[in-house]
Amino acid sequence: MGRYVLQRMMYMLITLWVIITLTFFLMHSMPGSPLQHEDKIPVELKEQILKQYGLDQPLPVQYVKFLGNLFQGDLGTSFKYDGRSVTELILQGFPASLQLGLQATAVGVLFGLLLGCIAALRRGSWVDNTANIFSILGYSVPNFVLATLLAYFVGVKLGWLPVGLWHGPEYSILPSISLAVLVIATMARYIRTEMLEVLGQDYMKTAKAKGLSARTAITKHALRNALIPAVTVLGPLVINLITGSLVVERIFAIPGMGWMFVDSIQIQDYTVIMGVTIFYSALIIVTMFLVDVLYGIIDPRIRIGGVKE
Amino acid sequence: MRRKLYLSLTSLVVASLALSACGGVQDDTAGKKKQIFNMVDVSEPPQLNSAKTSDASSLYLLNNVMEGLYRMDKNNEPIPAIANDVKISGDKKTYTFTLRDAKWSDGKPVTAKDFEFAWKTALDPKTKAEYSNILYPIKGAEAFNMSKGKESDVGVKAIDDKTLKVELKNPVPYFLNLTTFGTFKPIRQDIYEKYGSKYATEPDKMVYNGPFVMSEWKHEKSYDLKKNDSYWDKKNVKLAGVHTDIVKDQNTAQNLYQTGKTDFTSLSQEFVDKWKGKPEVMPFKEATTFYLQFNTKNKFFKNAKIRKAISMAVDRKTMTDKIEKNGSKPAGALVPPNIKATEDQMFREMTKEYVSYDKKEAKKLLKEGMKEEGIKKIPSIELLGYDSSNGKKDQEYLKEQLNDVLGIDVDLRPMPFSQKLDLENKGKFQITFAGWGADYNDPMTFLDMWITGNSFNRGKWSNKEFDKLIKKSQANPDFKQRIEDLKKAEAVMMDEAPIAPLYYRSRLYLKKPYVKGLVTHPFGADFTFKWMSIEEK
Amino acid sequence: MNSSTQKMTPEMFEPVAKDTLAQEGVASKKITFWGDVWRRFRQNKGALLGVLLLVIIAVLAIVGPDINSYSYRATNYEITNQETVGDHWFGTDGLGRDIWTRTWYGAGISLLIALLATGFDLLIGVPYGCISGYYGGKVDNWMQRIIEVLYGIPNLIVIILLLLWLKPGIIAIALALGITGWITMARVVRGQMLKLKSQEYVLAARTLGASTRRMLTKHMLPNVLGPVIITVMFSIPTAIFFEAFLAFIGLGIRPPQASLGVLINDGYQVLQLFPYQLFYPALILSLIMLSFNLVGDGLRDALDPKLRQ
Repeated sequence: MGRYVLQRMMYMLITLWVIITLTFFLMHSMPGSPLQHEDKIPVELKEQILKQYGLDQPLPVQYVKFLGNLFQGDLGTSFKYDGRSVTELILQGFPASLQLGLQATAVGVLFGLLLGCIAALRRGSWVDNTANIFSILGYSVPNFVLATLLAYFVGVKLGWLPVGLWHGPEYSILPSISLAVLVIATMARYIRTEMLEVLGQDYMKTAKAKGLSARTAITKHALRNALIPAVTVLGPLVINLITGSLVVERIFAIPGMGWMFVDSIQIQDYTVIMGVTIFYSALIIVTMFLVDVLYGIIDPRIRIGGVKE
Repeated sequence: MRRKLYLSLTSLVVASLALSACGGVQDDTAGKKKQIFNMVDVSEPPQLNSAKTSDASSLYLLNNVMEGLYRMDKNNEPIPAIANDVKISGDKKTYTFTLRDAKWSDGKPVTAKDFEFAWKTALDPKTKAEYSNILYPIKGAEAFNMSKGKESDVGVKAIDDKTLKVELKNPVPYFLNLTTFGTFKPIRQDIYEKYGSKYATEPDKMVYNGPFVMSEWKHEKSYDLKKNDSYWDKKNVKLAGVHTDIVKDQNTAQNLYQTGKTDFTSLSQEFVDKWKGKPEVMPFKEATTFYLQFNTKNKFFKNAKIRKAISMAVDRKTMTDKIEKNGSKPAGALVPPNIKATEDQMFREMTKEYVSYDKKEAKKLLKEGMKEEGIKKIPSIELLGYDSSNGKKDQEYLKEQLNDVLGIDVDLRPMPFSQKLDLENKGKFQITFAGWGADYNDPMTFLDMWITGNSFNRGKWSNKEFDKLIKKSQANPDFKQRIEDLKKAEAVMMDEAPIAPLYYRSRLYLKKPYVKGLVTHPFGADFTFKWMSIEEK
Repeated sequence: MNSSTQKMTPEMFEPVAKDTLAQEGVASKKITFWGDVWRRFRQNKGALLGVLLLVIIAVLAIVGPDINSYSYRATNYEITNQETVGDHWFGTDGLGRDIWTRTWYGAGISLLIALLATGFDLLIGVPYGCISGYYGGKVDNWMQRIIEVLYGIPNLIVIILLLLWLKPGIIAIALALGITGWITMARVVRGQMLKLKSQEYVLAARTLGASTRRMLTKHMLPNVLGPVIITVMFSIPTAIFFEAFLAFIGLGIRPPQASLGVLINDGYQVLQLFPYQLFYPALILSLIMLSFNLVGDGLRDALDPKLRQ
């Protein structure tokens, strides 16, 4: 395992480097420049400023410079937020996004598991049907619509919770729910399907036959086997929640990273784009790795190192 | 496992209930604070370095935490601020300002040197300032900024602590007006050098000489201003502070306003119907014109008659009343109505509107134009435009209208702002939907960019008489004659229709009735808080 | 096998009477796999309802825009934002356009996007996941790294580039979807393969000398179908919402064309004043989702080899 982890680490770095390189060149092939969002700058002045930033140099030169700085842990300073380093910007936006993402995941996984298990165990009953309808609704309503509805009805009409801003824990409730619904729906669906399959397997009959209580049989055998596809989708789902909650962040006026990233791409804030891409990619790569490790823990029969010969 | 699950769920619910309970109490006390103005803004300033910054948020914040030589009053006239008095030479090219006794927030006096340093810093190419061209009326400014001249040749000099002498390249009637602008605010050299690239990125990394100081700045979340006790005119400042939350979404801002969490927000067209006729609606007239710009290098649009036909096919009233719905007015010319020509007259009042909606004439002109060019079939036309939801609605209207009136099938191409500008700069467009806002209160800010070869003249329109009139006006000390020439220039331009003016834009805001004395400006900084107060709620 | 010495007589070669053949016929006819699937699918009332709904929606998406006299793009500024006026059955939007026509027109485009998404999932995601999971080892390792790279590159940059190269429209969106849309599917299938390949029946098949192709298509793929169908069910709304998200940030299909995503996006902006503008497109979207799910569930049950009698 130790060797495997070490090897994976190496691959992670290579993957990251490929992502950085591709993103760097793709980003620079977008027409326009970081100054382009300000339409009041005469072309001559713009060229003068670009020169000061070193953006008039050939791309390969800029690329090598960028990698050099990166090795020293320097992501540069933002073009838009002049004087603020990219690291600073990431550290400023990430906590809110992370908190929101984790809260939504926690709530989503808990309720999703519960709903999925109950639905599978009571297949065909009203509980199952209700769970099904809820889960279909859960992902046929876009989260920005749900967020708007929650903000308007719970926030404005009922006045129970804040309609936006980020000044304390109570401000995170509505946005977390908006995000969690999709997780609940997804988890419930996968768990239900898998549970149904597992429940029909011979080893479940064996488990029952050898006198295990229903609860033990379900938690020790059924749930564990049902978790495989759930874990698979959970990885990307968590990443999406942490990185992709931008619409919900926007609707609830949360100072997270999501919108900052979209914004940086639209105004071509090169350093921020690269910084956030590296940060997100690292997050994704590590999550994928953890998912693979989780496979092994949940199902010891799976050996990720290679085909079991 | 089930039991654990249940437990954690309960604790989660309990925790969230507890949190929401204590949250409610906090909010109530916050809402009743006196003389605090709560507002929302869509973005925060990148930093508050007046030499560099150019976005709307920075500009109005600087206007409230800094004091320039002059300040814009309620009627958008420059009134003396740090300057006590000014002497203008006979050729209108030398301004000598005398400064009053004023202090920075750390107690040190505001000197002429602070202005000289600020302006020269903005012009220094190493500063990479994006708005440095606003200083170009000053002698030697452009050359220094373009690395073609020396700093010492820039025409601004602190004669002593209380006297600032400014030499202009050409006489311009709007120079005092300019001194109210963000880039003309003073900067303290010692503070600037102490913090280097971090200057003005945090509230404690700068000093202030305006009515307010920034007391807190939670990036991308909120910021707070509080009354500046060292301000020279502090007895006239009633407001204790301003709290601004960053809210990017219009729906959210609406919700915050409706739940009383903010006193002031912009009102988007989606919500206009809800507030129609209510006294809380506050119009904000901008000095911005939106128009269609034609690429005159295009085979089809090089013909003035065809350009005019398109211009006349647009019913501007439908655009302003049915789509924009924010008090925007149909535009029949380029310079908006709130731009001054002389001391007491607006430019628009002295001239006429040139274009109006005329379907018949439009059809006729299109036919004639196509005949002149020998074009039999209308080519495929693409309209480049903004990707905002408002912008898209305007463009959807234009598409249908041109199809209905002229039978031209227009393809819409909404683009992110940066890419749109890039396509425009490279001349890769046929028609583009664009706008221009005034930098200062003079018709020149709308007219000088259309001379041949100017980088903002993206449609590459060229007219010798226009060029001559503008060049003459740029250096004409006879301001009366100058206005006459500018009137002529605009008429020449409208006759050839390199652009089709669409509307003079306005905005709407919602303001709680207890908020008094908020002053808005169509150019430079949007707001002045200095004369504000909050009445008993 | 029998005695070759038996004497042949011409009578032996006389055709048997037809009714005799019927009498001799096997009691029950041979059931093919697909026949069985169809038989069981037919019995599932929910699934049939789903098919019916989908057919109705598809037909309306095709003919719906032509049922009344309005085009999806024709504006009428005399009757903007009217809930009931004339024969505008779903009312009009902010430009006075007919929402009935736009909704069905949009449903068509959204269904097309859904179809494309499903296509990407099945054509790229499933084989990719199968190969990656089945072979494991080096192959798996490299294939997973490629996925990480695709995940890591900010796809907004790619979309903006696509919009500049192509005209914004279905094709640009389809390509943007194609770049990352299939990844979740590939991950899910891979996870299943990892689980399946260590199961006894797979080992048995391998021992019996089944070819890789046979192993994958006959033994493993049918067992992956459950999660595959669910993933498809999720990728449909994901694709539709992805398009809606693009509309939200101003990219997306070319106005005045509409998709359900665009309509929902427009509707949510005016939710407080004209809720009907959100209601109709959201309702159709939910119905589409519901019917896809009913069909999916039916298919899953019908295809499951373990349920085959």
